[in-house]
Amino acid sequence: MLELRGVRHRYEGRVVVDLEQFSVPRTAAVAVVGHNGAGKSTLLRLLALLEAPTEGQIFWNGTAVPRRPAASLRRRVTLVEQRPVLFRGTVRENLEYGLRVREIAQAAANGIIADVVERLGLQPLLSRRRHELSDGEVQRVAVARALALRTDVLLLDEPASSADRAAAGALYRALAAERAARPFAVCVASHQLEDAYRWADDIRALADGRLSPVTPENLFRVELPVGDGVKSVRVGSIDIVVMTDRAGPAVVAVPPTDIFVSREPLPSSARNVFKGRVTGMAIEHRGAGVHVRADMGGVELVAAVTAEAARDLALTPGGPVVFSFKATAVQVF
Amino acid sequence: MDFLAEGFRRAWGLLVAGDSEVYGIALLTLKVAVVATAISCAAGLPLGYFLATRRFWGRRAALTMVNTALAFPTVVVGLLLYGLLSRQGPLGSLGWLYTWQAIVVGDVLLALPIAAALSAAAIQGVDPRIRRTAETLGAGAWRTAWTVAREARFALAAVITAAFGQVVAEIGAAMIVGGNIRGSTRTLTTAVALYTAQGDFGLALALGLVLLLLALVVNIALQMLQGRGHA
Repeated sequence: MLELRGVRHRYEGRVVVDLEQFSVPRTAAVAVVGHNGAGKSTLLRLLALLEAPTEGQIFWNGTAVPRRPAASLRRRVTLVEQRPVLFRGTVRENLEYGLRVREIAQAAANGIIADVVERLGLQPLLSRRRHELSDGEVQRVAVARALALRTDVLLLDEPASSADRAAAGALYRALAAERAARPFAVCVASHQLEDAYRWADDIRALADGRLSPVTPENLFRVELPVGDGVKSVRVGSIDIVVMTDRAGPAVVAVPPTDIFVSREPLPSSARNVFKGRVTGMAIEHRGAGVHVRADMGGVELVAAVTAEAARDLALTPGGPVVFSFKATAVQVF
Repeated sequence: MDFLAEGFRRAWGLLVAGDSEVYGIALLTLKVAVVATAISCAAGLPLGYFLATRRFWGRRAALTMVNTALAFPTVVVGLLLYGLLSRQGPLGSLGWLYTWQAIVVGDVLLALPIAAALSAAAIQGVDPRIRRTAETLGAGAWRTAWTVAREARFALAAVITAAFGQVVAEIGAAMIVGGNIRGSTRTLTTAVALYTAQGDFGLALALGLVLLLLALVVNIALQMLQGRGHA
């Protein structure tokens, strides 16, 4: 639906987004993860058609978007910024803004607003003004203001950064409910992997403005058994030992940088030791790092090592490799 | 001191008595000031918004030009305009020389840079997220501009006040292209200059007080307009 091709975007000569291809398919739930400064916010502004790329082209349903897109096209996508702002006026007036722009009749607008207000629990805030709201409340209102527009694509930049845990949960539940009622594409930028892993069905990592293969690897949906402390979970044909008090459905993640790579099993405290074969190697960080991809009996794991270590271990595609990691290294979401 | 006190007594007498000449001059000044302020702000505010929000080649040079024009000497503007409007000038056929319209044109030329430069600064002071938010919520160019302007309303009201201040206190251009003709193009500032030169200090002071009063009333009105409303 929305696609960037060969986009290289610069600020004052510095490349901040450099993407050969990036698409947000219709009805997809895409999460873009990455550290602060990775280019997530700029990417979302490009996708929101608020900025034209310095180089490259944005496409909407296969058609090239002009540098100054018409308001009618911009109205099909909306962005909630990381630190959103509300306009002068009450929360209700803010919720009405985009609907007025679209010349939606007052009765219909009232119905839409009632809907998003209920979903995001904004009833007590409706008559308040921006200076009477906390950062988290402003963020909720901004998400509601965007949801009310029922756009084809909703872009959210760290939508829960100012929210507490409960509010963040409510926000993602509201988003899920809205998507269940009306399928639309969502693209969320977050530096909190937890947010991304919890609900997105397509996770992409951004580093230095480029798509990076690192972060979304080693993610597995699992069923955690009841009990405290160390437990073993089945992932395909292997069992991963994790340390958590949680039970039920969850996502476990093994950070590639927490995996020890060797040719033979090493005596260590690591509870997870898997033998397999190298399926691929990718050079990262301008040649300083290598991502080693290995098949551990039907389950693929990725480990990050230095280029020097990869050389010392004489790792080659198809060759034997052992991955080890501690139970405490496994993150549970 | 007696001389000054006598001047104030005379001024008060003229104002209370409703002297037709004083009020005629005041009304003409108000008319010229309102029309010139309206024209310069109608053109200058959108120009300021454009300079503040659009990125284009030569933008910096355009901003420098507008800022430089702030310091344009009024008599030089009057002189140039005189050249344009005089019978041999390119705009001589309009027949505007020594009319109130000529004063308005001069005042507009002087107030336009003020309206453009100060409104550009005011708009640049608005959080850029406001404009982006309006755009991403689907607003077109005009509604976006209106939304941004609403956020800068205090600063923009100050811009209008400054433009009015420039226009109402202007004398150089008004004297040159208006001619200070009694009952026709005599404004408060040109009249004050004339009567002071003639030694009629009381009348000059009376007109000076009217000028201050006019500025005060307009400022209060603008403050009342911008003071209503919340964040």
